[in-house]
Amino acid sequence: MKITICIGSSCHLKGSHQIVEQLESLIKANNLGDKVEMAGRFCMGDCMNGVCVTLDEEKFSLKPEDVNTFFEKEVLPRV
Amino acid sequence: MTNNLCTEAGYISLNKHGEQLCGDRVEIVDKDDACILVLADGLGSGVKANILSTLTSKIISTMVAGGMPIEECINTIASTLPVCKVRQVAYSTFSVVRILNNTLAELIQFDNPDVIVLRDGQRFQYPVTTRVVSGKTIHESRFPVQENDVFIAMSDGAPFAGVGVEFNYGWQRDNIIDFAEANYHPDNSAKYVAANIVDECNRLYHGEPGDDTTVAVVRIRARQSVNLVIGPPADPANDVKMMNLFFSKEGEKIVCGGTTSNIASRYLGKPIIPTLDYPDPEVPPISKIEGVDLVTEGVVTLSKVLKLGQAFLDGTDTSADWTSKKDGASLIAKELFEKATDINFFVGRAINPAHQNPDLPITFGIKIQLINSLAECLKKMGKRIKVSFF
Repeated sequence: MKITICIGSSCHLKGSHQIVEQLESLIKANNLGDKVEMAGRFCMGDCMNGVCVTLDEEKFSLKPEDVNTFFEKEVLPRV
Repeated sequence: MTNNLCTEAGYISLNKHGEQLCGDRVEIVDKDDACILVLADGLGSGVKANILSTLTSKIISTMVAGGMPIEECINTIASTLPVCKVRQVAYSTFSVVRILNNTLAELIQFDNPDVIVLRDGQRFQYPVTTRVVSGKTIHESRFPVQENDVFIAMSDGAPFAGVGVEFNYGWQRDNIIDFAEANYHPDNSAKYVAANIVDECNRLYHGEPGDDTTVAVVRIRARQSVNLVIGPPADPANDVKMMNLFFSKEGEKIVCGGTTSNIASRYLGKPIIPTLDYPDPEVPPISKIEGVDLVTEGVVTLSKVLKLGQAFLDGTDTSADWTSKKDGASLIAKELFEKATDINFFVGRAINPAHQNPDLPITFGIKIQLINSLAECLKKMGKRIKVSFF
């Protein structure tokens, strides 16, 4: 599975870095390092919302405080 | 006569602990055929020393730049400087480094610590002739320069650093040369070399300099262009034109901004390879495109570059951490502040709808303002700047 996180200006200011850090530590804590790949990506054209994140090809819009829920509801069931 | 060399000068001063004014003064005159740097150290400290050194450096640099002989400069100073009531003398030491046509160096030195010259990073013993002009003993030198020659002039606050604290006799000239040799890197800018030595002096003084301390550096280097593109053109029909002009320039290429990177990637037919490394959490990660030297995010990164540049320029940042850090802003800073002599900005005027969100501290106006401020800052570092809008 591949998670991409937008690292463009707008998403950076909305907290890409915190989201990357939180996801990385969640992946590590759950020993999913070899199953989940993380990557950066420039603007996905959805800047009016939260930080753009894709799970394989599905788009999500996250805030740093949503990461735990996102990980439990979307990432874990798909692994 | 022309060659591919150019002369770069920079300096840093520390005030004596408790003083608001520096008694050392550096004047740099950059003309087409010559670069002249004068470092003057006025007698005493504070306002009196400041006036003496300001007059001395200004008079000498102006007269030398005008081609006047050194005798006249010294006579003018002697009859102009106010005489100190306490000591009954008008006195300021000085060092002059003049580089003619980027080919010939002339040193004129009076009572400052001897100018240090590094050639290929090693101490270089230059010829000196001594004569007495109006009662003052002047040391003069004249020799051809080579690429990467570094001239280090200093006030006596530098070799005094650490007297009685770290060392018995201060940080002597030989120690300073050893330090400069050990820290030598051909890419280091004049200002950085100066900052590096002053930073060490400040450390030896335990942050409380016992005298005004100034290091001024002149460096002979090859011209190097760096080109930076940020923002898509106002009219997408000009994408290719902008990229054509950008990629046809000689020198390093930096692409800033997500959309701009997409345009460059399309133009080159090479994918963008993003990374997720945050050497500095404030700065978005860099990416890679084959054929581009550096790919970064746009406004957030460049705002940081401007901050770094201003701190470096006004002397508040003598440690210059950006020379070794790996985040996008530090990498751009290294390219623009150190590597480049000529910088071409390609600025697209397109309005990014994402930036019109009132919750975000970035607007179109800020991008243009940012480039203008950065260009101003780089000009003050002695760079030749060209900004083109699309």
